[in-house]
Amino acid sequence: MTAYIIRRLLYMIPIVFGVLLVTFCLFTLVGGDISVQIAGKNADAETIAEIRHEYGFDKPLFVGYEPLVDDQWKEPTDPNVLASYIESPDGDDTIILNDYQRIVAIENAKRQWLGGLFKQRLSDGRILDAWSMLDFNSQFLSHFKKAVTFNFGRDRERQKISEKLLQGVGPSLALTVPMFIGSLIISISLSLIVAFIRGSVGDFVIVVVCVILMSIPYLSYIIFGQLFFAYELDWFPIYYDPSRPMAVSVVLPILIGIIAGLGVGVRFYRTIMLDEIRSDYVRTAFAKGLTTPKVLFKHVLKNAMIPIVTNVVLSLPRLVLGSLLLERFFGIPGLGYLMIEAINSRDFFVLNAMTFMMALLIVIFTLVADICYGWVDPRVKFE
Amino acid sequence: MLKSENNTGRLFDTMKQGVKQIGWLAVCLCGIALSMSGCSKTDTGDNTDEMILRRRMPTKLQTLDAGNMRGVYSMEVGGQIYETLYTYHLLKRPYEITPLLAEALPHVSADNLTYTIRIKQGVRFQNDPCFEGGQGRELTADDFVYALKRVANIKYLNQNWSGLKDKIVGLDDFREYTKQFKKELDVDYSREVEGLKALDDYTLRIKLIQPWPQLVESVLTDILSSPVPHEAVEHYGFDIIRHPVGTGPYRLKTWRRGCYIELVRNENWRNELYPAEGQPGDEAAGLLDDAGSPVPFADRIIWRVILEDQPAWMLFMRGELDATGIPKDNFGEAISQQNMDLTDEMRARGIVLKSFDDPSVFWIGFNMADPVLGKNKPLRKALSRTIDRERFIDLFFNGRGHVAHGFVAPGLDSYDLEIARFGYSKYDLQEARELMVEAEAINDGPIGPLKLGMPGTDTFSKQYGQFVQRQFEKVGVMLEVDYMDWPTYMAELNKGQLQLFCSGVSAGAPDAIDFLGMFATKYFSPGGNKFYYSNPEFDELFDKAEVMLTSPERMELYRKLERMVMEDYPAIFTTHRVSYVLHHSWYKNYKPHVFSHRTSKYRKVDVQERNGYKQRLKELKMQEKMAK
Amino acid sequence: MNNQEVTTDMTQKPVKGRSLWSDGIRRLRKRKFAMVCLVIVLIYFALAGAIYIDEVLQDKFGEKGYEGISLFQWNESIGPSYQKPWLDYEWTPEDSEMSQEGWTFFGTDFLGRSTWRRTLYGAKTSLTVALCASIISLLIGVPLGAIAGYFRGWVDDVIVWFYTTLGTIPYILLLMAFAVVLKDATLFGHEIKGATSVYLAMGLTSWVGICRLIRGEIIKRKESEYVLAARALGCSNGRIIFKHLLPNVFHIIIINFSLRFVGFIHAEVILSFLGLGETDRPSWGGMIDAARTELARGVWWEMTAATVAIFFISLALNIFGDALRDCLDPKLRTD
Repeated sequence: MTAYIIRRLLYMIPIVFGVLLVTFCLFTLVGGDISVQIAGKNADAETIAEIRHEYGFDKPLFVGYEPLVDDQWKEPTDPNVLASYIESPDGDDTIILNDYQRIVAIENAKRQWLGGLFKQRLSDGRILDAWSMLDFNSQFLSHFKKAVTFNFGRDRERQKISEKLLQGVGPSLALTVPMFIGSLIISISLSLIVAFIRGSVGDFVIVVVCVILMSIPYLSYIIFGQLFFAYELDWFPIYYDPSRPMAVSVVLPILIGIIAGLGVGVRFYRTIMLDEIRSDYVRTAFAKGLTTPKVLFKHVLKNAMIPIVTNVVLSLPRLVLGSLLLERFFGIPGLGYLMIEAINSRDFFVLNAMTFMMALLIVIFTLVADICYGWVDPRVKFE
Repeated sequence: MLKSENNTGRLFDTMKQGVKQIGWLAVCLCGIALSMSGCSKTDTGDNTDEMILRRRMPTKLQTLDAGNMRGVYSMEVGGQIYETLYTYHLLKRPYEITPLLAEALPHVSADNLTYTIRIKQGVRFQNDPCFEGGQGRELTADDFVYALKRVANIKYLNQNWSGLKDKIVGLDDFREYTKQFKKELDVDYSREVEGLKALDDYTLRIKLIQPWPQLVESVLTDILSSPVPHEAVEHYGFDIIRHPVGTGPYRLKTWRRGCYIELVRNENWRNELYPAEGQPGDEAAGLLDDAGSPVPFADRIIWRVILEDQPAWMLFMRGELDATGIPKDNFGEAISQQNMDLTDEMRARGIVLKSFDDPSVFWIGFNMADPVLGKNKPLRKALSRTIDRERFIDLFFNGRGHVAHGFVAPGLDSYDLEIARFGYSKYDLQEARELMVEAEAINDGPIGPLKLGMPGTDTFSKQYGQFVQRQFEKVGVMLEVDYMDWPTYMAELNKGQLQLFCSGVSAGAPDAIDFLGMFATKYFSPGGNKFYYSNPEFDELFDKAEVMLTSPERMELYRKLERMVMEDYPAIFTTHRVSYVLHHSWYKNYKPHVFSHRTSKYRKVDVQERNGYKQRLKELKMQEKMAK
Repeated sequence: MNNQEVTTDMTQKPVKGRSLWSDGIRRLRKRKFAMVCLVIVLIYFALAGAIYIDEVLQDKFGEKGYEGISLFQWNESIGPSYQKPWLDYEWTPEDSEMSQEGWTFFGTDFLGRSTWRRTLYGAKTSLTVALCASIISLLIGVPLGAIAGYFRGWVDDVIVWFYTTLGTIPYILLLMAFAVVLKDATLFGHEIKGATSVYLAMGLTSWVGICRLIRGEIIKRKESEYVLAARALGCSNGRIIFKHLLPNVFHIIIINFSLRFVGFIHAEVILSFLGLGETDRPSWGGMIDAARTELARGVWWEMTAATVAIFFISLALNIFGDALRDCLDPKLRTD
């Protein structure tokens, strides 16, 4: 068991690396340089260059050294720095340079890149090793660093991304957890009933209703729900209202979410229940003379728990992400809302952090689901 | 297998119990989830006796750092927290500059190059942990110097520098000097700038490179020049975006991004009074009822972030917002088409309508650097003739707009009432078709499909795009519309990659020089000139106009420049917007003001009336039902 | 497990020599309701096809005077702005002075264009998007799954790693991210726009499920006798995979295809709402999105029309897909 878990944990490493690679390709290679967008309406070229540097868009993609902003480069005016070099490095006196001297030194070193000579002599005879001052850095490296240290930096408005994400988790959960539990309870109860009366008219009706519920676009549910139940009938707040408890504002979105998701849920659990009810042990139980409720709750539900628990555990991390459309329409400041905002403003920093954190959660919960699976089903052996 | 039908009743009983147990568990879990949300304890004081201004924020607020603020909505909040040297008078029209943090209007030297400004004594910053002991210190002239230098600091990466470029003696050198540093805060702000000096604690002196008549209007009333204490910048670092420290009547209490913003009274606010004089008619309108009483009136201001128009409208109708614009699709509900006035239902609710000219202009711009459009004036003119602007205004703005015959907006000093006579914005398909023949001759063949960049992917933009497509089609020009989100649009526009683009501006000051600047060669994109319009004759006159003081000659020159541009058709100018604002009867002292965002302190709410609104609404609904 | 009994008729004795397909189709024919649904689906496809052909003809013969079928002219104004449905009206077209009489089935939009025609045209947009997305995801998922399942070893490891990675990222995030970066991007010298970016994004992100499924099936079947026989006869690996194995899992692909199709139609609506959908031509998603604000002025018909259009095709496809699944492979369970 322990060995299994350790092996699974190790297997997470390539997956996480893969996720990093995918997000890098998406948001850096294809998404690209958004400095002009950050600079605003009447920007000047200098500011844009400065922003590119600040956000690291001018770094090499995979391997290389941190470059300079083009405009930063000036012919050396400081008499301390000579553009000459010596051939053999001797002595290791280091000197303290200000940023400006450092820039000049590095630029000179870059110019002599091909000759492989990176040392410079200053006017007072000391030697400056510019090589050691080049920062080895690339966009991928900083992408990687951000992820493993969980330090995602700041978004384009300079707010801390981690803070932003944390703030969004609460409202998202307030919406999705009741929604999830509600639809879970209703779907399982309905599917038990359906499994019990399978083949009858009632079964047919419920299945058809489920399909009908599934066939209406999600957006239509929300638009209609908001207009009719919130505005016309005035039963619920129209929009998230900070002056009232969160619970009041999320009732309507929760209801809409449950109804819209019911079809899929019932059908999913119905398949599971039907599978169980057709098993031999159920026939045996009935043959023993057990009552239907007993069979359903003691045997069927218990056995159906295995796929149910797995499914529940696998769904948990997705709850954190909230519901994109519901949050947007009802103004609930959760992660789904944040995501739309990030998409609309092309804030790839936020999207990147979000994707990575979510992937990490899902990887962990998949592992938990597998362990749970073994826990509820003793037949499963960890190899 | 299926024999136990008669047990169904018991089945449901057992189930009920099971559900009950699971139900409790669910309730607990939901409770935990809700308490985690953390948003549950904020109180906007519904039905209290506190005076609260309730507003809507239709966009995500980006920053509350004065030096980097752009956009009307951030200024609407920032304007209550920060103050500038000057502002516009609340009631007087035409707009008049009045001192705010300054003692009096600036003392200007004879050569119009040196401005000496006395600053009010005893003004204190709001209390904030960044100060020693948490008590706000007194404002000095150095704070203004610091604020402007900070905008010049290149490492601060702010959006406002372009407004100060090549204006103040030594400031550009200061920007050059900041380039060598790695971080914003490494810069030594004590480095002297010749044109920007605090002579003593209460005297500020600004020296200009050349005369700049718009200095007061465009910089000293603009939020970018408002004093920011260096203590705050140093203390909060990047986080200053959400820790504004200013001298204004309000201070920030809470800001939950994408959710709401709350300002409360600043304890250190100096005693200021409601203006005692206004325009004729203001007294009758009740705008002078509070003359001489100390401001601010309201205890708190709350903005709720509501991106969509629909929910905002519904909230306004329910009395949860004090004022609102009218969404295009609700116009029929609010305003009757016959007399363009409020409908009876609105009146019954005590809603008041105020309409005013927004000093703005909107256009479909041509990229003059484009090989097809740039050299083909008949084509541009023809396309301009295809747009039926009146129908456009009817369709998209419910008639809330004026046809833009020129680009200088009504409400600006040099707006030419007579400009329609030149017929630059005529709708004339016949002429357009004739011009197209000419255009095709210049182009050596039929005009290929053109491409329009549209900022926005929402319904409005899509409909706008389809409208233009259809109009162009009438003269046989195919148009592809590229619907982009704002950031992408911005980037493409700044790089000059859009062939045609939809855009518009709203004036920040009564002087039209910024509008004219959009066509000067020296402001090529990423500066203000997104058209890449270049006309040497225009440039020469523009340089002259830029340094001219307000005078009738200047007005003539402005108008001449405007016509010069219009003759060349660098854009299809479509509309000047007219704003319609609805507010509830309990919202007092509201007089539309297009240039100042510092007006919240004068607003007042009749709390009793507001609290009675829900009741009134119920009665009205009952009446409606009875009538049916 | 004795599933056959439940889903098929008990009295029916299995007849020898019937293939999986003919057997499945025979069973399917018995389900009247499923057949009705199939007809509905076919009508939608026929409509989309007709619009497509009409457009091609217009492109080719437009100069020779072919005007196209008027019912498909979605861009033509046929009445005043926001005309209510099912009413006679009188209006003056923009270019003429004469007033005309007219009647609409489903009202008009802001430019006076028929909602009914736009809804019909939406079938083409939405079905094209869903079809292309399905095909892309099958073209990626099926071969990858087959190769992974057949060869195992490091090839399998790489493919499994790849799809696990993609599967780890929440689908909606992945889809939106793809849609955002693909929108207006240039790929191999071609500019991607409108519907193309939509189905590319959906296709490229949704192949994980089918890939996993096919891989599992291939692993199960690769040691079966017919494969061993083919190998003994000296068939190449490619031939075994594509000629022997894949035809035997083809029904899984078909079932998956029919159920996935619905998902894509619904996804198009959401992408439209996010401003990432088709913009130049009517699509159901675009119509629902537009109706969001117009609902306030009492324009309910645009949203209703698009919702109903989506409703019927997803209902039909869902029921038909279920029936197909039951008939072709009673053992298969899809999510």
